[in-house]
Amino acid sequence: MTTGAVILAFNNEETDYVTMAAWGARNIRRHLGIPTSIITDCVDTDKLVDFDHVISANAQTGGTRYFEDYDRTVTWHNAGRTDVYNLTPYDQTLVLDADYVVACDDLKRVLNATQDFMCHRYALDLTTGYQLDNLNKFGDYNFPMWWATVMMFRRSNTARYIFDSMQMVRANWQHYRDLYGIRQSNYRNDYALSIALGIVSGHTLQVDNIPWPLYSLLPSVQLSNVHEDSYQIQYTDSQNKLKQMTFSGLDFHAMGKKHLEAVIANPS
Amino acid sequence: MNTDALIIHARARFDHETARRVLKEKYQARMLFAYNGGMWQAGPELLTLLQAVPVEDDVVLLDLYDNPVKINPAELQYLALGRWQEQMNAWLVEHNEMSRKR
Repeated sequence: MTTGAVILAFNNEETDYVTMAAWGARNIRRHLGIPTSIITDCVDTDKLVDFDHVISANAQTGGTRYFEDYDRTVTWHNAGRTDVYNLTPYDQTLVLDADYVVACDDLKRVLNATQDFMCHRYALDLTTGYQLDNLNKFGDYNFPMWWATVMMFRRSNTARYIFDSMQMVRANWQHYRDLYGIRQSNYRNDYALSIALGIVSGHTLQVDNIPWPLYSLLPSVQLSNVHEDSYQIQYTDSQNKLKQMTFSGLDFHAMGKKHLEAVIANPS
Repeated sequence: MNTDALIIHARARFDHETARRVLKEKYQARMLFAYNGGMWQAGPELLTLLQAVPVEDDVVLLDLYDNPVKINPAELQYLALGRWQEQMNAWLVEHNEMSRKR
C-alpha cells in the first residue's frame, strides 16, 4: 500500500502557494517520512523539485475573498479539492492545505489509524488556548463544521462517497447555501466537507475525527520563526495587551498567509 | 535598526496562561497512539483499567472511537506506560522552560 501527502497549490495575485507547498513538502518528508505530491497549475519546474509527483490541474476559483493580513480581496482557487480522490497517486492520502505547518510527527498517528477517512472537528486558537467557537460551526442553524485543512483517507467506499458528496455540494452550491443558511456566497471546502460528512453518516453526524484540535493562528497574529520547528507569535489579548508566546514541535494552521510567506522567505 | 519594532517587541509579555493551556493540549494529543487497529490514550484511566484485567488472556476493550478491539493487556500496558512516562517527562521539561520566560 502506498502512502503519501497531497498539497493543492494555485497561486493568486498575492500569495505564492507553490513555494509554501514546497516548504511544506520538505517538512512532511522530515517529520512524516512520506512522499508529497502537488496538484497545481504551476509550470515553473524550479519550484516543483521538492515534490515526488506533480499533478497538473486547472485552477478552479471558489470566488474572491478578503484576506485580513493582505488587507485586500484576492481570487480564491479553492474549488479543486473535491477532485483529490481521483487525482491522488496514493492508496492512503494525507491532504494538507499549503498553509498547514508540519512541525512534528503527530500526523503519523493519523496515518496509523484504521479509519478510512479522518479530519479535524475543532479548531483551537493558539492565542487563547481555547476552541474557536465562532468558526467551529456555520450557517444559520449552527451546523457543526469539520475542517478540510487536514484530511486523511484511504481508497475506500466511505472516502469515495464523501468526495462524491462534496462534488455534489460544489455543483449545487446555491441550493446547499439555501438549505444550510449560509450567508456568504463563496464556495468553501470546509462547508462542503461538513455537509458531505452529514450526508454520508446518514445525518447522525457520527464521524471519526482526528482526536486532537486543529491548532490555528488567525490572520491578525504575527508569526516568526525562532529556530527550526519553533515559532513565536505576537498578538493583542482580550484586554488589548500585547502578548507573545513561543511553541515548538506543534503542527498548526497559519491562516495569515503573509506572515507564513515571510517565515519561509527568511528562515532562522 | 527599526527601533519602533524593537520597543513593541520588548513590551510584549510572555503569555504564560495561554502557553500552559496550549502545552496541555499538545501533550494530551501526544498521549494518543495506535495499537492493534484501535486508537488509545495513554493515561491513568487506561493504565488502571489494564491493571484490573487478567494479564494472561486477550481481552476486548473499547478504543477511543468506541470500537471493540481485542488486545493483549500486557502489551498494551507496556506501550501505554512507556508513552505516558515519556510524554509526561517531555511536558515537564517544556513546562519548566516556559516558566523561566518573562
